[in-house]
Amino acid sequence: MSDQLEQSFVKQLKENQNIIHKICRLYTNGEDAHNDLFQEITIQLWRAFPKFRGESKFSTWAYRVALNTAITLYRRNTRTIATVTYEGQKHFLSQEDYNHEEEEQIKLMYQAVQQLNDIEKALVFLYLEDKDYTEISETLGISEVNARVKMNRIKGKLKKILNP
Amino acid sequence: MDELDLLKKAWKKDTHSFEQVTETEIYKMLHKKSSSIVKWILIISVLEFAVWAGVNLLFNTDDAIQKLHAENFSIYLKILTYINYAVVIWFIYSFYRNYAKISTITSTKQLMQDILKTRKTVQYYVWYNLSMIFVSTILGFIMAFVYNPKMDALKYKISHENGYETITITVCIILAITVLFVGLFWLIYRLLYGILLRKLHANYKELKKIDL
Repeated sequence: MSDQLEQSFVKQLKENQNIIHKICRLYTNGEDAHNDLFQEITIQLWRAFPKFRGESKFSTWAYRVALNTAITLYRRNTRTIATVTYEGQKHFLSQEDYNHEEEEQIKLMYQAVQQLNDIEKALVFLYLEDKDYTEISETLGISEVNARVKMNRIKGKLKKILNP
Repeated sequence: MDELDLLKKAWKKDTHSFEQVTETEIYKMLHKKSSSIVKWILIISVLEFAVWAGVNLLFNTDDAIQKLHAENFSIYLKILTYINYAVVIWFIYSFYRNYAKISTITSTKQLMQDILKTRKTVQYYVWYNLSMIFVSTILGFIMAFVYNPKMDALKYKISHENGYETITITVCIILAITVLFVGLFWLIYRLLYGILLRKLHANYKELKKIDL
């Protein structure tokens, strides 16, 4: 029975691992830290898995646990140093789809996002994942209106970082 | 177009850029130990409960009472001891209840609140113990003053010579020791939990700021 649970968990995690990788990339600044956070998120997901009833998609359920782990439970300081560019970024683009200029812009954009604080990153992550404000507000535990206001402020902040 | 939307476009296409973890690797991860702050809070808290329980057992008041022939105090001390046990059990129970509530599937804000609440329980427990020590010290001093023959010299000094000055000095010494003791604990706490919870506090503050 528990083997079955483990099997089902491992399979779903493997299929959805990119979500966790994306969070790790936002919150860490090196391969070691990335793997470390990935592992901690995996452990926390596994612990919470018995409470996953399949009412939502595995991925939707995993957002919350993964973000909570990155923001709250993870012990190492995950604040990225703005000047350090993460190696993984190089593989960020599927080359054929972008021209050079756009690629450069996205890279800068990515660096700007890394300068945000943990909470702002969470908002950006959920926004990039196409979550609506209802889900963003529920995930973070803030009101929908305030989530919206904050998101607009973050956009402004990013603009400022990009065009000082 | 919004810069963030540009990133969004790239973000969605970004599905094959990570080195994929295999099922075997995930299996291995499941059996590794967590290093989350919740685990550390649990370890430190259990240690704190144990240390203070030990301190309570070490202070055997009965012997001291017998030595001083202060038996009429002993009933009060017994009552105090039982109340103390009840309070400690209540602390452990509410710590456990708060700890069990911590869950990663609640909202981020709720999770942070639950963690902080759990830790607060232990903090109150320690302050409770410190104030009990303070009260016991004063009680002990009063007992000694009343029953210990060695205190006669001090009593004589107070009643015959410069009484005001002697009392002032005694009170000052007790206060200084208390301040030193409490200060030391406060420092240890700042360091220990400061390091452990710095990130959580910062993020919690940020979340609350959004919701003002």
